[in-house]
Order: sequence, then C-alpha cells, then structure tokens
Amino acid sequence: MAYIGVNATADFVTLKLNNSADWTGDVANAFVSGEDANTYDVLSMQEITVNATPGIFRWKQLDSLSEQAITTASTNNIELTVVLDDTIFFSNTGSSYGILDSVNNKAKTAFRLYWAGESSGDKYIEGIAYLSALAPTVTPDSPVWTSPLTLEIVGDFSTGTVTP
Amino acid sequence: MSLRTDLLANVTTALSGSSVSVSSELPWSSGGVELYRKNKKKFYLSETNQDITQLQSTLDTNDVFQTENTLSGFITVDAKNQPADIQTVVSAVLNSRLSVSDYFIRECNATSETEGDEITYTFEYNFVNLI
Repeated sequence: MAYIGVNATADFVTLKLNNSADWTGDVANAFVSGEDANTYDVLSMQEITVNATPGIFRWKQLDSLSEQAITTASTNNIELTVVLDDTIFFSNTGSSYGILDSVNNKAKTAFRLYWAGESSGDKYIEGIAYLSALAPTVTPDSPVWTSPLTLEIVGDFSTGTVTP
Repeated sequence: MSLRTDLLANVTTALSGSSVSVSSELPWSSGGVELYRKNKKKFYLSETNQDITQLQSTLDTNDVFQTENTLSGFITVDAKNQPADIQTVVSAVLNSRLSVSDYFIRECNATSETEGDEITYTFEYNFVNLI
C-alpha cells in the first residue's frame, strides 16, 4: 500500500490541456512530443476533484424489503479552483485556446491529469472534455483573481502510466 | 520611499497647524523613559515590522503571498490639561493611513493609557499588500 502524496516538487499534480485541431479528436495524439507547442499546464491550481459517478436507477419490488438498483451511464467531470495566470487565461498556446477562449468557443479539449508527477511510472488519466463553470472572482480582501473551472468529460476516463 | 517615510510625511502634513508636532526619530528609550513621554505633544513613529503570510496556496507552489506591515505611533500629552485640539489630532493621525497608496488593507486603531499625569495615545497601523 502506498498513499499518493503530492507535496514534493516531483509529485505535483499537473493538468495539461490541448484543444488545437492537430490531434483530430484522438487523445492518444494530443500529448505526444510533436504537440508540445499546443499543450499547456493549468498553473496554480488550488484544489482539484475528480468525479466519476455512475447514474443509478432504483426500483422497489413487492417481494423485497430493500430497493433494487442498476447502474446507468456515468457522469464524469473534473472540478478545480485556480489562481488565474494572465498568460494561460487570455493567450493562446500555439494553436490551443487559452482558458477563457476555450470556454467562449466551446472547444473540444484533450486533457491529461497527472496524479503525482510526470516521471516514468507515474499515473495519469486523460480524455476529452469541454471547459465550463468558469466564474472568476476577486474581492478587496483577497485581491487576486481566482476561478472555479469544470472539465465536463465526454465519455470515459482513460488511464495511463508515464513510460521512460 | 519606505512605508515609514511615506506615513511620516502624511502625518506631518495632517498635523501641521495643530498643537502636536512630528518627530522623525524612532521612539527609543532614554534612561528607561520613552522619547514620546519625555517630549510631550510630539508624534513618534516606530520602524516597520513585516510579516509575510500566504494569501492563496496552490498545488504547484505558485502561491500568492502578502506582506503585513505594522507600525506603532505614539503621542503623550498632559492628562490634566489636554490640548484643546487633541480629538482633531487623533482623527488626523488615524486618517493619515488613507494617504498611503498601493496597499489593499489600510487600517489604524487608537488606544489611550493614562499613567500619572500623562496620557499616551498609541496608534497601531496595519498595511497589507501583495508581494
């Protein structure tokens, strides 16, 4: 058993996005070295939650004291809060939109979330998503812009391991 | 300019024409007696104390930090015969915090303490800005 710590520099959580047209909808092509110029890290994340929630259909039967259940299609998303970085929020990275334009243009976005570092053997999940729930906020007592952001996943999460 | 220099200049402007003058010296003690007690009706301002704290923490250590700057000001006057304009002086010293720019928190509170025939007004300034 080993817990997944993310406090060391080599174990930081990393979220990469790519919504250039080059990967042609195939996530496997989105994070290859040839796509580095179109890929960016979502910097300064404050918290991140991965939700993988199957739907449940329930019914009652006259011959049972408890409900029956069966799963239906899952709702998958990733929710995070981020301190906004001027560059990745407003500017494109290669032919990928920044965060604001990704939402504005409803761009289909490939994502890869490294759970604890990007070294050989480290785990990640990836998939296709639409960015939503952007709600930048700032207050006099906390005068830096922060925002929630949700990646609404299209289909399944895929898992992978960083290879040498 | 330093925060202390800015604030001192603002207090000097605010108290011009009043019964209280402003010293640029630090409120050090001489023979166990603080200067502001020795030199009554004179405003003294301490050096700035700084405290760096985390405003926003992040998962990749791109944290946002803030600096809390605190300074203390002192005025001692005769408790039996306070200057007629003492309340105006206290208000002016409190309001001088607003003349310092580039800090998103600008607070000041005033307390008074009577000892013998002296009353000492203490002003605690708190200025916070992003690093």
